Amino acid sequence: MKRSHSMLLLAIILLMVLSACSSGNTNKQTNESDSNSERSGKNQQASSGEKTKLVYWTFDRHDADFIKETVDRYNASNEDNIHVEVKSMAENYAQSVDIAFASGQSPDILRPNQDTMIPFMKKEYLEPLDSYLTDEMKQKFEATFQDQVNQFDGKIYSLPNFGYTLRLVYNVELFEKAGIEKPPASLDELVDAAKKITDVGKADGQYGFALNFKSPKSALDRSAREILQLSGYDGFGFDHKTAKFDFTPYKEVIEAFKQMKDDGSMLPGVESLDIDPLRAQFAEGKIGMYLSYSAEAGVYSSQFPAKIEWAATLAPTITGEIKGTSGFANSGQWLAISSQSKYKEEAWKFLSFMYSDETLQAYHEKGLGLSAVPTIASNAKAPELTGVDGFLISEYDALWPVPPAVTVEGLNYGDVFLKYILGGGDLDEAVSDLNQRYNSALDKATASGEIKVTPDASFDPIKLQGSMLAK
Amino acid sequence: MPSTIAIQAERNKRVQRKLIGMTANAVLWLFLLAIALFTLFPVVMTILGSFKSNMELTSGATLLPQKWLFSNYVEAWQQANFSVYTWNSVFVSTAATIGTLLVASMAGYVVDRRNFVGKKLFVALQASTMFISIGAVVLRPQFELMVSLNLHTSLWGVVLILISAHATTFFILLGFFKAIPHDLDEAATLDGCSFTGIYWRIILPLLRPGLGVAALFAFRAAWNEYILPLVFTMNNPMQQTLTVGLANLRYANSAAMQTQLMMAGACLSMLPLLVVYLLANKTFMQVTAGSIKG
Amino acid sequence: MSKQKALENYSFIFPSFLLTMVLGIYPILWAIHYMFYDYKGYGEKLFIGLSNFKRLWYDELFWNSVWNTLIYAGGKIVITIPISLILAVILNRKIRGHNLLRAIYFMPTVISTAVISVVFFIIFNSYNGLLNQFLQKLGIISSSVEWLGPKYAMLTVIIVAIWGAIGNYMLLFLAGLQSIPEDLYESASIDGANAVHKFWYVTVPMLGPVMQMIILLAITISLKGYESIMVLTEGGPIGKTDVMFLYVYKLLFPVSTGSVYIQEIGYGSAVGFATAIIVGLVTCVYFILSKKMNKIY
Repeated sequence: MKRSHSMLLLAIILLMVLSACSSGNTNKQTNESDSNSERSGKNQQASSGEKTKLVYWTFDRHDADFIKETVDRYNASNEDNIHVEVKSMAENYAQSVDIAFASGQSPDILRPNQDTMIPFMKKEYLEPLDSYLTDEMKQKFEATFQDQVNQFDGKIYSLPNFGYTLRLVYNVELFEKAGIEKPPASLDELVDAAKKITDVGKADGQYGFALNFKSPKSALDRSAREILQLSGYDGFGFDHKTAKFDFTPYKEVIEAFKQMKDDGSMLPGVESLDIDPLRAQFAEGKIGMYLSYSAEAGVYSSQFPAKIEWAATLAPTITGEIKGTSGFANSGQWLAISSQSKYKEEAWKFLSFMYSDETLQAYHEKGLGLSAVPTIASNAKAPELTGVDGFLISEYDALWPVPPAVTVEGLNYGDVFLKYILGGGDLDEAVSDLNQRYNSALDKATASGEIKVTPDASFDPIKLQGSMLAK
Repeated sequence: MPSTIAIQAERNKRVQRKLIGMTANAVLWLFLLAIALFTLFPVVMTILGSFKSNMELTSGATLLPQKWLFSNYVEAWQQANFSVYTWNSVFVSTAATIGTLLVASMAGYVVDRRNFVGKKLFVALQASTMFISIGAVVLRPQFELMVSLNLHTSLWGVVLILISAHATTFFILLGFFKAIPHDLDEAATLDGCSFTGIYWRIILPLLRPGLGVAALFAFRAAWNEYILPLVFTMNNPMQQTLTVGLANLRYANSAAMQTQLMMAGACLSMLPLLVVYLLANKTFMQVTAGSIKG
Repeated sequence: MSKQKALENYSFIFPSFLLTMVLGIYPILWAIHYMFYDYKGYGEKLFIGLSNFKRLWYDELFWNSVWNTLIYAGGKIVITIPISLILAVILNRKIRGHNLLRAIYFMPTVISTAVISVVFFIIFNSYNGLLNQFLQKLGIISSSVEWLGPKYAMLTVIIVAIWGAIGNYMLLFLAGLQSIPEDLYESASIDGANAVHKFWYVTVPMLGPVMQMIILLAITISLKGYESIMVLTEGGPIGKTDVMFLYVYKLLFPVSTGSVYIQEIGYGSAVGFATAIIVGLVTCVYFILSKKMNKIY
């Protein structure tokens, strides 16, 4: 009894001591954050010779070293007395940003991407850049301005840096082993190649094809997407000519995938396979082919050093004939300025440094991402990464108009198609059900004014060919 | 004198009983070992995994690492600023645990021993906070409350929110309270003990096993908390807890996850929890010997 | 009631009440008022009354998740509770190595879910998973079982849940067992009871109130559990392991691994509310059915 008494007393004393320590901290923190939230940074200015402090939040990890170096260089050399602090958020970037804005502690510089751009826009987090853009910059980035991507209501909110091309990634050694001369150019050849590779390789645990079906939509968005785009159809089921959803073009692609599954040419367990385990198996030489973004090149040089010879090439089309262009993905945005920032001018100065030719070119050449800016892409040397040459921007890559994002009720197309691939059923019915649900969601969103779509009868993806190469 | 047949029968019965006893023992041991293996295997895999390279770990299939990369631990420690984060985690978890135990046991004591207006409502209130949890959406209003109290950049804000989630502890302790007979209270009151005195001197010591287990759970819950400290320490990296720091390891410097570093970090952060477990285990060791005679 | 008593009562309740109301209830109410709105996290929220609930009624994904939750919770509890209880009873006595064994059973709870899911993937995946390799070597199965495929994913997820829960409930039961006075066992022995008798006639009744609470805890935790499922299967494949709280989570926090779900705070809150009601209903039913556990005789 006495013992528990004294233990409790001890605990309380400990707690008081701890609280004394951290209240000290708390007070310090409170002071700091008070002055920070005023954004006049008087303390900072007094102590570090009147430097303007900017906070820059990004979620990119693959370029962390490069960014840090670049920012350090900027801090040391810039003549505007600006000091930039870079922070890489682990996960939950969007959430962290939400919370920062809600408590008035937003960073000055943000890194929106294709998923967060529209929410950030609608929540009014971003400052329009038009007044800051010089004529020179306008010209440089002209080709990359896209509505609903980085341009809203005629105003520019972010500029692109890099993007990803999509390709068929394949194991050269397995192709040789199976006696296949060149990578497949049509769906039939794809199914065929997968089967051949599996036939000769199964005993060694090698299979012809795989995709990360643990996230079905993600898997299709990196595979069916560019197959459709090269064949002349939108990669997300949206028909730009009629401004309506139509998933019919998916049918042949999904049938081909199902055929490969039924043939046993797919790595067992694809439905629970995540992208990293897939990459690990590919690096081990267990997978013949898959489709993905140009980020794979970086992955196979450092994270999962490839033990086999691999290459990338244009994705197959439905019939073998190229009637469109492969989309250039995740490219429209990079840096943006916070609408809450008290130092927008200074932030822009930093941005123009980051968007300078030297920085962007170095980014591209180090293999951190393929430049989305035509002049940079054509002037820069090829990135120094094994296997990246198959990914380089060609005449068959282009920026597609963006389909509207709608709230669909029930299973999305990724889940619906995976269901068919695994278990069969009536594909026609599934497609018409998808069309009906997606279009009713579209109608709802248009009616409430949330989305605006206009049909473009003259849209033809063939016309986009060559648009990414500088004139 | 008993006949030889009777003696034989007696001996047979004894042997039989011994055999049954031994088989029962063997069965029990098999059961224990089977569960132990089932439990340990993934844990051992985790420890082994922390020594593997990223590729070996992600492609699976091997048991023992091909090469024992002790460097994983060094890297994880450095990259994750471990000592600072560990201290923060210890602070938050300890403060939250003590606070939770106090608040919940006080409430449980009164709910079990007394009747008063609004008691049923109070219990229903506690129960409802257990069912209705819609995850991190409540974080926004909680955070804004803390902003108004100016606690939003301090770990105390985190501690308070953790303590406020004491419903589970409340119900655990309530169960144990009910098992302490009310005669004890009466006996103590007769001896001149006050209500509060009974609480401190008689009930709490008897509640030790319950307190021990509740403390363990509360500590662990606080220790494993991620989103909450993340939100509060966004601008103060030196205040981050281990969970937040560990999460950073996952995406160290690349597009793919550095899973092996995460494993190493996880193994390191297991240790403090184990220490707490050993401490708490002591409370399950005592056996309450005869508190009421007769 | 005397003033003194009233003061004691309310002052003991006060900290709990204050904290619960301010940091518990108020945020929930605030967050949940969204269920009457169509709110995507930005812009104005549209008041749409009960539309979200109408949509919920017809939402097959929701009812699928309800069904999955019941199976998941049921499977987990039915196996975990008896095992935990038996373990606790066995380890309550000072047999050889009981401390070590207790520590072993406790280990799973010390590792975070994100980390352990990597290991479970290594064990359960159908390409080169350790479990399949093991079973094939023993000749129990002839070809790989797709543990994470549509047929067996739920079973796998339940096994993982059981793995993580045994230690927890064992500890709770141990603590409960500790509060049973030794004299009762002694007098039972004197009366000629053997181990099984002692279990049924001393242990179980004395554990009554504690057991009631433990099972209550188990029910609420299991119905709300989603984190381990989230990291292992993300509710897949094709929604086979989608449980209620995971569905709510995905509505509120879109998973952005390249797949864009739209954040739906309004509808998500409505689903969250409906989920809470269902959990409440199940718990009420349980309370009524378990009334008799409360009496110690």
